Amino acid sequence: MKIKSDILRQYQSVHIWTGIISGIVLFIGFYAGSLTMFKPAINAWAAPPSDTLSSINTAQFDSLIKQASMQYEEVKKGFNIFLNQKEHSPMTWYEKGSARELSLNDQLWHASLDEKNQLIAHKTNPSALAELIDQLHQTAGIAGKIGHEYLGVYILGIAAILYFLALISGVIFLLPSLAKTFFALRKNKSSSRFWLDAHNLVGITSLPFHLVISLSVVVFAFHDPLYGSLKLAVYQEQPLFPAQKHTKITYDISQLQPVSSLINQAQNFAPSHQVIDMTFMNLNNPRAMLRLGMYDKGGLMRGPITDYIYMNPYNLKITNSSLDPSDEGIWTRAVATFFALHFGSFGGDMGRWVYFLLGLGGAFLFYSGNLLWLEKRRKKFKKDNLLPTQTRACHLMASATIGICFGSVAAVSITMLAGKWLYPWVENINSIYLPVYYLIFLSLVAYAFIQGAAKSAIAIFKICAIATLAIPLTSIIAVLMPSLGLWSANSISTLGVDLVALAFGLCFIYGVIKMKKRALYGPIDSIWSLSSHIKKEVSFSCTEKIQ
Amino acid sequence: MENSTRTSRIQPDWWSKSIAGIFLGLLLSVGLVGIFAWSGPGGIAAPVKVQFNMWLISPIWLLILSFTYMFKTGLRAFICLSSANIVIYLILFAVRA
Repeated sequence: MKIKSDILRQYQSVHIWTGIISGIVLFIGFYAGSLTMFKPAINAWAAPPSDTLSSINTAQFDSLIKQASMQYEEVKKGFNIFLNQKEHSPMTWYEKGSARELSLNDQLWHASLDEKNQLIAHKTNPSALAELIDQLHQTAGIAGKIGHEYLGVYILGIAAILYFLALISGVIFLLPSLAKTFFALRKNKSSSRFWLDAHNLVGITSLPFHLVISLSVVVFAFHDPLYGSLKLAVYQEQPLFPAQKHTKITYDISQLQPVSSLINQAQNFAPSHQVIDMTFMNLNNPRAMLRLGMYDKGGLMRGPITDYIYMNPYNLKITNSSLDPSDEGIWTRAVATFFALHFGSFGGDMGRWVYFLLGLGGAFLFYSGNLLWLEKRRKKFKKDNLLPTQTRACHLMASATIGICFGSVAAVSITMLAGKWLYPWVENINSIYLPVYYLIFLSLVAYAFIQGAAKSAIAIFKICAIATLAIPLTSIIAVLMPSLGLWSANSISTLGVDLVALAFGLCFIYGVIKMKKRALYGPIDSIWSLSSHIKKEVSFSCTEKIQ
Repeated sequence: MENSTRTSRIQPDWWSKSIAGIFLGLLLSVGLVGIFAWSGPGGIAAPVKVQFNMWLISPIWLLILSFTYMFKTGLRAFICLSSANIVIYLILFAVRA
């Protein structure tokens, strides 16, 4: 395909600048976002198995709810039910906090029935680990709030606009050479060629995913101003959201419909879906509501994990749903698609794994993009044989890329690890996550700027490798030494967390080996070279050889 | 101006083009979505359609922004996008009436 050269030059500049500005925060967003594909597994991994009570039959729930509501006042307001989910107790309710807002001091009651159908219940601090990783995904760890929204969300929203520009411009200036170089991975030409080919290959093959993610992040960050502009320019006196009608009747928890009929009602409404959780809200006031999480193994769901049906739990009236099958529901279903495409909540577990890999591919895209930027600005040997000094901008960008991107990766691994090892020693484990994360992250960023990219890259990758490999190792130690108060994987999903950590750890070791090689034996006129103290002498002999 | 070398190639004009793309592009995409909201299927009052409409803005807006850099100059971007806005908003008002 032929495109005028000045257009190509324009879009090359757009690509480079948008990419370099947004790449680092997006790296964190993508890496953490990949991990959020398995939030329930991470939370189950982070909490001792004794927290979770064993599941019960669907028929036993009415008795459980009755007994719990008689003994605990909080239950009369609302509670959650989980149907046959190993990661959750059958019934939970919040004494402090709620599932909707992130708080580190939540107190959650778990309840189940024993063999004699008697209530058993205990109170825990539910792990906020997965929620914090999600927060990292949404804000890149940038603290502070503007109004009711996190500053980091807006920053990622702006980064997503730049990222969309980078995608379009990247495709435009790649088009002329695409047919020739698409599947080429030229390993032997030069390492920068290899990075460029890999960058292009990942970018082009996962383009639809990236377009969807960038557009949805813009919506997630800026939906309020976008609704505002619609109101101003389009709807005006028309209401955007018609007010919901509420009944005035206040019921009491004892009038609750049996769980089996609630499930039946939802199942009739959505035969292809399965009820997996039920959240009862406002049971003691006229706004009583039941939200059912509807899971469809092969389908496409609006929520991060499920579709939703909203129902009045006293009269079985369905008030709202994300899977409205009627003709009028076309808009609901269309919007559900946009959400599902961001959350990866389609295609079951397979879909999650694909999204996990695509997310990691995204992180790779931003990292390799920064490497290419650095490579392009590299000052090479000239005729005078003197070792050129690399620009300050290159040094700073290399340090930032290593320190911020992999500082965050290392900090996540160490935070997960600390969550397990410190569990027996602190009252509320949630209180340590943030201090540990920011302590490690900020120290590694500082280290990268002080020591320079070449040295810190190897050290930070080593830390990533050790911390990440220690995650599965902890499980092994837990089995061998039960007295330590650790716990090991006890289900397929928690074992999955350990295995993924093992795989990541091995990748980091490979990275350390490659980086050492690059630092010691790679070109010495490079920002990644570590032979700086011997550079002067070497440069002389080296250039002699070249000549 | 036609025969001067300045206009024969695309000028970078980063700031002016970006500003035109961001603000006039947003205005234009809201206008286009507005036409769809009023005269598209379901009309303005279809339940939940407002969410769909809100989602539609960002792809249109960002595509306009992406292609703003094809304009020869920033000034031209301003003129073209402004004219497009006038046309689209005239249609929107006609559709609403």
